[in-house]
Formats: sequence, C-alpha cells, structure tokens
Amino acid sequence: MRAEDRERAVEDVVTRVMSRVLERGPQALEAAIADTLYHERQRVDRERRGKERDRRLALLDRRRGRLLAGSDEERRRLLREVAEAFAREVLGNFDPRVHAFATRAVPFGLAALLHASSPRQLLRRFPVLGLEDRLAVQGEVAHARALKDLGTIVCVPTHSSNLDSIVLGYGMHELGFPPLLYGAGLNLFENPLISYFMHNLGAYKVDRRKTAPLYRDVLKEYATVSLEYGYHNLFFPGGTRARSGAIEDRLKLGLLGTSLRAFANNLRHGRPRPRLFVVPVVLSYELVLEAETLVDDFLRETGKSRYIITDDEFASPRRILQFMKGILELDARIAFTFMPPLDPFGNRVDEAGVSLDGRGRPIDIDRYLRGPTGELVDDDERDHEYTRELGERLVDTFHRGNTLMPTHLVSFAFFEELRRRNPGLDLYRLLRTGGTQDTLSLGELSRVVAALRDRLVALEAEGRLRLDDRVRRERADDLVLMALRALGTYHTRPALARAGDRICSRDRNLLYFYRNRLLGYGLEAA
Amino acid sequence: MSGGLKERVAVVGGGSWGTTLAHLAAMAGDEEVVLWMRDAEAVREVNEARTNRRYLGDVTLAPTVRATTELGDAVPDARLVIVCVPSSAFREVAGQAGEFVTGDQVLLSATKGLEPRTFVRMSQVLAEETCARKVGAISGPNLAKELIAGQPGATVVASRYREAIVVGAQLLHSRVLRVYGNLDVKGVELAGALKNVIAIATGVAHGLGLGVNVRAMLITRGLAEVQRLGVRLGADALTFSGLAGIGDLLATASSELSRNFRVGLGLAQGRALEAVLDELGEVAEGVNTTRVALELARSVDVPLPIIEGVGRLLFQGATPGSVLDDLMTRAARYEIDFDYTAEVR
Repeated sequence: MRAEDRERAVEDVVTRVMSRVLERGPQALEAAIADTLYHERQRVDRERRGKERDRRLALLDRRRGRLLAGSDEERRRLLREVAEAFAREVLGNFDPRVHAFATRAVPFGLAALLHASSPRQLLRRFPVLGLEDRLAVQGEVAHARALKDLGTIVCVPTHSSNLDSIVLGYGMHELGFPPLLYGAGLNLFENPLISYFMHNLGAYKVDRRKTAPLYRDVLKEYATVSLEYGYHNLFFPGGTRARSGAIEDRLKLGLLGTSLRAFANNLRHGRPRPRLFVVPVVLSYELVLEAETLVDDFLRETGKSRYIITDDEFASPRRILQFMKGILELDARIAFTFMPPLDPFGNRVDEAGVSLDGRGRPIDIDRYLRGPTGELVDDDERDHEYTRELGERLVDTFHRGNTLMPTHLVSFAFFEELRRRNPGLDLYRLLRTGGTQDTLSLGELSRVVAALRDRLVALEAEGRLRLDDRVRRERADDLVLMALRALGTYHTRPALARAGDRICSRDRNLLYFYRNRLLGYGLEAA
Repeated sequence: MSGGLKERVAVVGGGSWGTTLAHLAAMAGDEEVVLWMRDAEAVREVNEARTNRRYLGDVTLAPTVRATTELGDAVPDARLVIVCVPSSAFREVAGQAGEFVTGDQVLLSATKGLEPRTFVRMSQVLAEETCARKVGAISGPNLAKELIAGQPGATVVASRYREAIVVGAQLLHSRVLRVYGNLDVKGVELAGALKNVIAIATGVAHGLGLGVNVRAMLITRGLAEVQRLGVRLGADALTFSGLAGIGDLLATASSELSRNFRVGLGLAQGRALEAVLDELGEVAEGVNTTRVALELARSVDVPLPIIEGVGRLLFQGATPGSVLDDLMTRAARYEIDFDYTAEVR
C-alpha cells in the first residue's frame, strides 16, 4: 500500500474493527480483549524460550492487568492498542518503484534460485533462463485486463504450490496488470530471497499462528479497506495449498466476502468506481514442487493435517533447484488460465463491467443490497449467502479452467486401473500395498490412457475442463512416456517408473496426488 | 438511488393453485395482487366475472385480484413473485419473467416438480433464469379446492435467505393460511416433488379396494424412501417430518382431490395412462417426477422400491397386482434406516 494511504488505512481498519466490537456492548468489549490475550498467550507460550518471548509474555501480563482493573474507557484504549498493533504488523510496505524493479527481476529471480545466490549477485549476472517459456497463459486475459480500469480487481487463483505467488506476481505483471496486494503466510518471508520478491510484489504478512478472532477481523478489514481504496487484491480462496492435489472444492468464504463488503461500502459512500470484479485464475502444474509433502500430510489422517507447513520442499533451495531443472529440461509446463470474471454475487461480467444474468441480460446489482424502499440494507446473513453462491460458482469455474497435463492423465489412468484390478481393496491398503496386481504393461496402460483421453476430449468440448495441447494431440503411448519422464525426473521416488517391460509405481501416494487433479468430473471407477 | 418495490404479490400462472394463491394473498393484505395468465379469455373472466371456472368452478375471487396476460404488468415492483406453472413450462416462463425481475425481489416457486435430466429443483431454475438470488419455494398440504373454499390450512415458505421467508410470511400469512418458515429449501422442494409419486401409489391401492393398513404402509414407507433420497442429496431429515414432508404426503395420498391420487385410481381401474391424464385435464406432476426420481436415485445409488414400482406401473405396463406382489415379497428389513440394505435374519 502506498505510503500516503497507510495511516488512513490503519485508522480505518482499527475504527471499523472496534466499532463492530463496541456495538455489541461492554461485555463484548471485555470478551474480545480477553479472548485475544488468551489466544496470544497460547501462541507465545509455544515460542522458543528467550528474551523476546519473555518480553512478549510480560506485555501480555501487563495488558491482562489493565483489562481486569481498567474502566470501560481504559478497555477501549486497550482494544485500540491491540488492534492497531495487529494492523501495523499486517500492512505491507508497498513501493511502486520497487515493484517495477522486482517484477523485472523475477525471471532471473527464479534463475537465481537455481544458483541459490543473492539477488544482488544475480542482477549483475542477468542469466537468460526464464519463466516465460514455461508459462502457458490462456483464457480470458483481455477480458480481465479490460476490467482493471473500470473497478477494482480481486484475483482468486487456485493454490497448489508456494511458487504460485511468484508465478502470479510475475505473470500478472507481464500481462499488463497493475500490482496486486496479497496476504502471504509468514513462512514465505522466512526464505530471504523469496521474501525480497514477496515484499515488493505487494505482499502483506499474514501470521497464521495468530488465531485470535480479532486478528482475523483486522486481516479481513484490511483487505476490505484496501479494496475500497482501489487496490487490486489477490486471495487464495482455498486458504492453503491443496493438500490432495485436487482442485479446490471448498473455499474460505471470509476473505472472499470482503469483495461484497467493499462494494457495499463503496455504494454507501457514493464512491466513483464502486465495482469489484472477481477474476478466477487456475494454475496447473505438470509437476508440483511440494507434491510429496502435501500428499503425505493429506494422507496422514484426513482432518488431522497440519495447517501450516514450514519444513517442506519450498524451504530447501536444493529442492527448488532440482524442481526448476526438472521444469526447464523437460519442457514441463505451468498453465495460467484466466476464467470469465464474476461480480461479488457470482454473476458473469461483460467487458464493459456490466453484470449479466443466466440469459445474458444486464443486471442492476445494487439492488441486491437494497430494501423495498431503495435504501441500502446491512444484512450479514444475506451477504454470507451471496458469498456462498459466489464460492459455488468459483468452484465450478476452477474445474472448468483446470488444464490437464500428461502427468495427471496418466496417473489417473494407472491409479484407476489398479483400483479396477484390485476390487474390494480400500484406498489406504491400495496405497500401501498396491494390491496383488500392481504393474501394467506399456500397451495396457496406453489403452487405458487412450480411452480416458477420449472421455476428456468430450468433457473439454462441453467446456467442463481444458486439456494441454499435448494431451489432445500426442499418441497415447507417447503421453505415457512423457509422464514417465516428468514423474521420474524431479521427485525423490517416481510416481511411475519402468521396470523392464512393465510400468509400476514407486510412490503410490504421489501417484494419487497427481491422479486427484481429475477428481470432480465423475470419471473415477465406482 | 435505484430501486423501490411495492408490498404486493405477483402470481405467475393461473391454474388452480396459482389462482388460489393469488386469492389467498389478496385476502391476507390490502394491496392489489396481479395474476399472470397466458389465456386472454381467462384473464377477462377473472377481471369481469371474478371466477376461474376451468379450474375452480363457481368460487368468487377476492376483488383485489387483477389478471393480466403481460408479465411486464405483473412482475415489476412486486416485492414477492410466486411462479406456479407446470414444471415442463417452468424454465421457459421463468426466463420470460426474468426480463422484469430485479435483485431486490423475492421469488418463490409453488410448483412441485424436478427438471428431467438436470434434476434441478424449481427454485434453482428461478435463480438460473432470472437475476434473483432471494429465491425459495412454497409447499405443504395445500389442496387448492379446500383453501379457496375458506378452510384453514398451513404452508411452508422455504429459502436459504431469511428475508424471503419473512416477506413470504408478511404477504401470505392470514386467518386462512398459516405460514411456517424453513431454511432447508432443498428438503422442502424434494419432499414436495417426490410425495406426488407416493400419492399415485396410494391412489392405486385405493382403486384396488385395499384398506387403510395398506395406505398407512405406503405412506410411511414411501416417506422413508423420499427422506432417504433427500438426505442423500443434502436435505435435512427433519424437514420430512414437517408440513412439507409428512404433512403434504398425508393430504395428497389420501384425498380424491389430489390429481396424482386420481392418476393411481384410474390405473387401478385398468385404464391406460393417457386416458387417465386426458380425463384429468390438469397436469399430474407425479408422472414426470417418477421418471426423474428414478434417474436421480440411480445416479446416487439409493434404492426406492415403492417409487420403482410406480415406475413399472406407469411406463412398463406392469399390473397393479404384480407391483404390489413384488413389494410384499421383498426380504424383511430393519425399519430405521441406519443401513437400509440390511435384511432381518
């Protein structure tokens, strides 16, 4: 956020968060502070012992004392202090000059990762290796671009990898989009090199270890305020990276709902460009950097998975190096698909920024927020429902924009054939043992791949998904070979490998991860 | 500032239930109720003679009911729009009405049916064919001829949007019609549509001269099927014990006023389906719904023995006796559906 907007933003965020607490009365005030101090105490307790931790604990103790002894007035001051501290911590330090510089540096930034060198060294070297050749940009780019001057853009991508942030930051800039603000997990800032780019690509810090509801309110309010100021934003509506490898089918509505709230506030204040446009982007990777860790976490026990992972492949420059080598040597791809933009209610929007109903007729969307006499009506329950519908449409859109690569297709074909040949075996046992028939000949696998490809081509014709051009064009046995090459290059153990004239899986969890990209289309065996 | 609505009701569709709803809405408030009908002659009859003889005989309609053939006359500015046309025409009419719908309006479907192939519920059609979001359904034990004669009754207004329920209650609740709200619109609509199939089955039993034991069996086990399918599709099980569930089923499955019941009755007398439908002169949604329910049940793998029996009767030329026989010779099972496939052994 620009320096001139920062103070105003902090003030707006704090005032709004406070007024929402205060309107519920003095008990709510006390509860909000006590709750926040409790959550913070829990968090700090888990920190490493040391001076910093002691200092924080002492601060929390002092605040607790003030809460217990304080008057209403004192408690209001305390709430403001806590909320303001959160707000200042969250606010990014965005500088457009640095942004321009950073986006120029990204292509060789990735190259820098290859050499694990510092950005300064890197900029002296200017290697030519780049991301641009690997990035297949497709879909409604012009449409999204046309909207950026008509209102504020909320870019909502699918999330498979920590590289998403970098790919998006770079890609959006290359496509002529202005910088996007986005909330990035603190762990992304821990990698010093990535941190450098993150900061300057408009990222603000989100500390997911902070579980206090007040902190989340501050985050949401900051997103809302920045949207109202006209800053284009980026959220990952799935929340975290998709652990299973599948396209997101459940979205976090809290952050998504900020677009509706910002629109309502814009209307209320009669702002000149009140519209917000939700631009869905689907990122499809032929290989996923963190696939092994993600799927292990997913399978560890559904529901008990870790929300924050800090020790994955992304934390290891060596793994990133291997990954980039894999991507570059293999002609492996990242598809970057722009889907048709929506309004905050989930309606399609045309290139002039006008919302359309199911029959393509223009809609006056202001009226969704107005009562019978034409006045704007606040109604959180209604807005939650509107946002839920937007979420449903986004999930559908993500599936339609999913671009399937040879790795996905072949993994799915192999995995489903294993399931078919080992009836009665539950998923976990199949993953652990592979069943009694756990290999296929190249011919057998190619036949299954060919049949699956036919079904996918039909689905693509209906607009329900997208296919990488190789999947559409190449012979089935060539697709199998491509997938074998890709899956065998980067990961520790290949999801699929050749053993003589047979094909087998050396890491069925990984196979399952890539296979899951085809979930949600009714293709799997019953 | 854009917008502004009148606290009035528009009813789209002038069959027996649509006309009755317009009349009931008119009785509940002071505002004019505008009833859209396709047929200009029927419009003239409502506006001049205050009757709709084709569907409701001699009943005199409330003076504040005004009929029109123009959707653009009925729909704009109405706080509540109720769409009540047969499910086969529903999408088309909803799309035409959508020309005049605005996002602040509440739209309710009063049609109990499911769309073939897509399995879409009627309130979903309203959301797809118009810009309205505050959509829902009105459903319950509401035999038009009793209500329009002034007998008391109760209905359910269901929507995920509380505002739609509140508006429905404000504009329809009266001494004649009690309105209950339900946020489980999916359950309410599925119950309303599927119960029509069970009504065909009880009509058959009645026509065969069978007594109340059989009727009670078909109603309770029929409800179990409907609930099983509904819950599988994400509905709330409790909805099926409410007015839109057991309430509607009791009314429909035991009254000769019910069209679907009459279809069953005719079939039991050995007449062909076409002849029965011809004589009815109105749409019996249960016939179409049977087909859709069977497809839907297959897609989610839920067994529906009674509904399957009705399907064989309607579309495969099976005799009522053989269908009943099939139902009675199935293995004994546990009644409460923790595992509805479990046999008693």
